[in-house]
Amino acid sequence: MNDIAIIFKREFRTYFFSPIAYVFSVIFIVLNTSLFMFHFFFFGNADMRNFFSTLPLVLGLVFIPAISMRLWSEENKLGTVELLLTLPMKTEHIVLGKFLASFVFFLIALAGTLTIPIILIILGRPDFGPIVGGYFGATLLGAFFLAVGIFISAFFSDQIVSLIITSLVCGFLVLIGWQYVPMVIDGWIPGLGEFLYNYVGVTRHFNDIERGVIDIKNIIYFLSFTALFLYLNAKALERRKY
Amino acid sequence: MIELQNVCKNYGLTKALIDVSFSIKKGEIIGFVGPNGAGKSTAMKIITTFTAPTSGTAKVGDFDVLKDPLEVRRIIGYLPETVPLYSDMLVNEYLEFIGTARHLNGAFRERFDWVVEACGLEPVLKRKIGVLSKGFKQRTCLAQALIHDPDILILDEPTSGLDPIQIIGIRNLVKDLAHEKTIILSTHILPEVATIADRILVINEGRIVADGSFEDLIQQVTDRSSIYIATECSKKDFQSAIHSIPEIEDVVFDPSTPRGVVGCHLYYTAKIDMIAKLNQLIRDQNWDLVEFQREKLSLEDSFIRLTKTSKPDTEESEKPENDNSGEEGGTE
Repeated sequence: MNDIAIIFKREFRTYFFSPIAYVFSVIFIVLNTSLFMFHFFFFGNADMRNFFSTLPLVLGLVFIPAISMRLWSEENKLGTVELLLTLPMKTEHIVLGKFLASFVFFLIALAGTLTIPIILIILGRPDFGPIVGGYFGATLLGAFFLAVGIFISAFFSDQIVSLIITSLVCGFLVLIGWQYVPMVIDGWIPGLGEFLYNYVGVTRHFNDIERGVIDIKNIIYFLSFTALFLYLNAKALERRKY
Repeated sequence: MIELQNVCKNYGLTKALIDVSFSIKKGEIIGFVGPNGAGKSTAMKIITTFTAPTSGTAKVGDFDVLKDPLEVRRIIGYLPETVPLYSDMLVNEYLEFIGTARHLNGAFRERFDWVVEACGLEPVLKRKIGVLSKGFKQRTCLAQALIHDPDILILDEPTSGLDPIQIIGIRNLVKDLAHEKTIILSTHILPEVATIADRILVINEGRIVADGSFEDLIQQVTDRSSIYIATECSKKDFQSAIHSIPEIEDVVFDPSTPRGVVGCHLYYTAKIDMIAKLNQLIRDQNWDLVEFQREKLSLEDSFIRLTKTSKPDTEESEKPENDNSGEEGGTE
């Protein structure tokens, strides 16, 4: 337990020393709030439907890969992976420490968008169910994507390569949750699209939670995939070939 | 203390280690010597649990590197070849991080002061690691390997890229630590370890090609002895006279001797008192002796011989020819 905290501390500190983190959080907050404001002024609805409908794609394509890319890629590049993995710590603990550091950083950036619900409260009378659900879903979604990102970053020593592969994978996970993508896949191999849509794609699960329907199945979906990728990450590092 | 048995390691199709076995006793200083890419670092990575062997077993202390990696890591201090440092941290922050990660707790302050002193890090403690010179980076990393007072110290090319004064500094530090610790250090420069290592393991192309003290090693390379002799006489006389000693196998004349003086290296393998025989010869011939000395075969000599034994010569000699023809084709 202590080991997780030690790694967490070092990792979290690095986020606040690297300019990339600041740049990306500012872009994330500005992009999301401005995307939202555009619709908000157009339709004048006091809800965050629009915000949460674009969020998975923004997170998956840009923001999460940008946070997760350095987690192992930087260690690979500096050679510090050799130092880290010869410390008397369990690999799982190191992975968990790193993951939690990125996760907390993500939560801080996500908290930066809380200005939107505050504006809504001031200007109108929003329905809190979907907003709370949306933020809860975004938290779970972030954890899942970060786990995917940290897993991928272990295989590369170039951060940009990690970023691109992670955004491809996360983008795929979002897209197969959009109605017509699984339909196309079903056209090639009947049943596969349906399966991917229901069990692999994030959109359906995220939308359910975002609607305010907190179903234990959806929570299990996110948590189990997060745990799976973290576990795979630890195993991949232990069985490393180089 | 450290024992490898039939260890093989493959990286894809490349064989980095082939059936390597050796054991190291407590308190020994071992020099790993071999050309770049010979498998020194791979062997060290296996001992430090960073990579797993493809087959075979490796034990450190009483612990298997695959079954109890954490126990192994606890007793090892490791300076990797890449000098892993977080360039955004200050030197003292870095050492504090390693200290807490190695669970030093109460003992940290004392150990911290000790490594700072031993590695001479006082002047750079509050500096960012990224801006340090190569020498200080190397020493910071060495401090990292020493901070938990490990029983075993693994140093992968600890002196590469350092200037001669820094090399002596590191060598002295290793000597100071020698009494209490088991140390493995690798290098591709044989003389560097000859002075401090109790035992030298020569690795080439994934195999251990020689194992023993420096003197053993030279013996292993060649049983030949050599004597250098320079006298005032004509070359012709000298040659015919030298032939009267049948045990001399090879005569290599020294071209740099002044006029009227013949100098040459005499090589022989027979276990006879060559000095007495030569003395007799010189007296019989009435030569005026200019120089006479028993020669030690140089370290490089023996090293090159060792590492050449397993190399197919044909490939090497063919390569340059191909390169040349390629270049000619290009210019035409």
